[in-house]
Amino acid sequence: MAPPTEDNLTKVSTDAATEFVQSFYPALENNRSSIASFYNQPTAMILFNGNAVTDGAAVQEIFVNQMSPTHYEVQSFDCQIINQGYPTPTSTGTKLPTETTLKDMSILVLVSGYVRFGESRDLPQRGFSETILLVPNPTTDLPKGRRRKEWLIQTQNFRLVV
Amino acid sequence: MKNGKGSRGRQGGSDRGGIRKRGAATRVDREGDMVMEGGSAARSRGGKRARGESGRSNTSNRSQAANKAMDAIQRAISSNDSQANIRQGGRGSGLEQAIVRGWKQSKAASNPDGGLESLIAFLEKKLSPSDSKAGTRARITKVCATPELAVTDMNHQRRPLRCAFVFRDGSFRTTIGTCLGSTGSRVEGDALIVSVRPELLDRMLKLDGFSFAGAPLTVHKYDRSTDGLLDQSMLSQNGSSPSAADTKAKMTAVLGRRYAQQTKLLDLSRLASDPDLVSMGIFGSTSTESKFFPALMKVWELNFDDSAARRKAVESVSLAHNQLANITAVTTLAQTIPELKNLDLSNNEFKDAQALIGWRWKFRNLEFLDLSNTPFSSDPTFKDTMLKWYPKLRFLNNVEVRTAEELAAQKKTPIPVQPPHFRDESQIAENFVRAFFAGYDNDRSELINGVYDKSSTFTLNINTSAPKSEGTETAPWDAYIKKSRNLLKINHLPARMSRAYNGTDKIRDLWTSLPATRHPDITAHPDQWLIECYPIPGLPDPSGQSPTGVGGLLIMVHGKFDEISGSRVETRSFDRTFILGPGGGMGGIRVINDILCLRAYGGHEAWIPENQPAAPPAAAPATPLVAPQPVAVPGAVPGVVPGAPDGYGMPTPGKPDVQVQQEQLVLQMSSKTRMTLPYSEMALSGNGWNIDAALKNFEELKTQGTLPPDAFLPV
Repeated sequence: MAPPTEDNLTKVSTDAATEFVQSFYPALENNRSSIASFYNQPTAMILFNGNAVTDGAAVQEIFVNQMSPTHYEVQSFDCQIINQGYPTPTSTGTKLPTETTLKDMSILVLVSGYVRFGESRDLPQRGFSETILLVPNPTTDLPKGRRRKEWLIQTQNFRLVV
Repeated sequence: MKNGKGSRGRQGGSDRGGIRKRGAATRVDREGDMVMEGGSAARSRGGKRARGESGRSNTSNRSQAANKAMDAIQRAISSNDSQANIRQGGRGSGLEQAIVRGWKQSKAASNPDGGLESLIAFLEKKLSPSDSKAGTRARITKVCATPELAVTDMNHQRRPLRCAFVFRDGSFRTTIGTCLGSTGSRVEGDALIVSVRPELLDRMLKLDGFSFAGAPLTVHKYDRSTDGLLDQSMLSQNGSSPSAADTKAKMTAVLGRRYAQQTKLLDLSRLASDPDLVSMGIFGSTSTESKFFPALMKVWELNFDDSAARRKAVESVSLAHNQLANITAVTTLAQTIPELKNLDLSNNEFKDAQALIGWRWKFRNLEFLDLSNTPFSSDPTFKDTMLKWYPKLRFLNNVEVRTAEELAAQKKTPIPVQPPHFRDESQIAENFVRAFFAGYDNDRSELINGVYDKSSTFTLNINTSAPKSEGTETAPWDAYIKKSRNLLKINHLPARMSRAYNGTDKIRDLWTSLPATRHPDITAHPDQWLIECYPIPGLPDPSGQSPTGVGGLLIMVHGKFDEISGSRVETRSFDRTFILGPGGGMGGIRVINDILCLRAYGGHEAWIPENQPAAPPAAAPATPLVAPQPVAVPGAVPGVVPGAPDGYGMPTPGKPDVQVQQEQLVLQMSSKTRMTLPYSEMALSGNGWNIDAALKNFEELKTQGTLPPDAFLPV
């Protein structure tokens, strides 16, 4: 495979981050039963305000059962490629260098915005900062009734900062 | 007016731009204050309007009016009428004023605007010579309205009035019109005051007794001398006329008498029966009355050197017993004392929420509100509306409507705020963070040489609309915005590429171009930082030996910095995430990723842990206890407290929070007393984990000489 060009790399990574931000935060808001599908298995670490959460299923459980209606507003986000040759696992181990594609990359995403806990628009807007690492979805399974996600959360750290 | 200065800078909108084309008009506007010094009543009036216009031009929601203004200006400019200088309407341009009454009794008074527009049209028609063509007929422009016309002005958004300018200050009080043809007008109570060219005055006065929509009008010449008392010019900083100084002195005395410094109460109740104010003739006419309160607020502001001192001076204001039907006359209170906690509006005439609407989004810190003995408070929606409007409201009409617990619960996040998750490896992250921010402030190039390489990536994004701390202003982002890679806004691939900085040279070039910074010292101000860290796998291996990637550290830092550009210092907040991997830099590491988000200063309260240990009472000094990140607790740095086991005072999986907090207290105790950890722990546990008590106890024992030498750390 020819070495990837800078514009292709930028396009793939920024498209991935954009797609993620535009689907993940709406899901936290009003499609909570899909939350687990955003997470890789296993995840390296998931933190919300310093509380460690085991995995995507646990995040979904918390949002479905414990979280008031929550409104997220992403105001700024950016991403960078971490590893252009991310070792995506396969059923037989890790992809060989000959098998890797442009999309075998890991991506660092930094999101800044505000969140409002509760339905009323009068509730305070709390500033948050969230760091997310995306990795390629290692499975080719098509989840029932859902589009296959190309990128999954490997690690996530949410913090209220204002 | 109060916010004139600020709004001037902020506004600068199209309407001003248009005006600027005409030099004379600009000068009139800008130097309104100076013109006022002229002293004649006529000039003072005009000057006041000029001020009022800029002072009230701070709402964004008036483009329609602005457009109309532009139209009027354009027509004025293109006409060869010598009086096209629109800003002179009603001021020292030789206009005469007439006062029209009786129209409030007409059938037109039931119109949404109280019949004003019909009246103006009627007068225009009567003033115009019968043989005139449409283009030269007289036009009257509404200049100023008092509270009665608030609704009219609000409606103006939807229903055009014949206004060349309508500026609102949130109270819907309008001001400044222009005199396009010959006339300008304003309304005071039931009186419409019309400015006309002298040659039209006779015709105007002849309208006395004319019937307008079923009611006879009275028209007579308007005597300004009754209206000069509170001219804004008198309160201008450089206003030096004796009466200005006199008015200011009298108002200052009134305010002084009504202000209790200890309780931070400004009692502005029963103003109409204040003998000093009565003797000043404040309440003699609607006109002076409407100007009185803004003037009073202005005088109040002049008593303070800066807005911070002003904000701190008052927590409570009473406006009880003032016969207020709405807040229009007193709306400036919200600008002058925005952080009010207690507000007494009882014994007034507010009918409904609409009467208070101008304060819907003001007083965000209001805890106590009294609207007893107002019609509104018997409205079934009253309580719910006020609770909704003021999220921090605790007491309404002296009844508790939110408990402290409810308020705390409201503030509490569904996800409790915990101390930072900081899982370092061999102090790599700790050393890196300390060195990084010192280096970033002092020698960015050296920092790049140390830990960045040809594959390092840096990007910057600006969140220009982030929530911020109350009472702070955000400096413009000019120095950064062209480098910002906020992917919400930067959609084109070439821009996304050019705003990513790869390799030492590009990063150096960028960093050199960014403003100088000063981050707070991590050891001295641990509370101002939130630093989290943990290991991650799958990073690129620069040696190429490990196809499955190598491990490294993910570090997330939140904090603030001062930005120094020339003599100005601006405080901003930031979020910065690093990925460190093994490499050829100092300490065998390299920065793979460095991604920075800048935003308005948002303080550090958000990351103070919610679960405080039960033992130390609230009196314990807040900072060390809540110091969230272990790296920053001085005692937590191994070497400073010999014998501290690895991870002591730091959260690790499985360690209960209480233990972490106790360990941190022990470290504080130890660093303050130089006692060993076991003795520090004994001192604390013996004093109920109250560090103040423990320190006091320690001092006593030390004085008595009862502490053994081995209680202390080796020197």
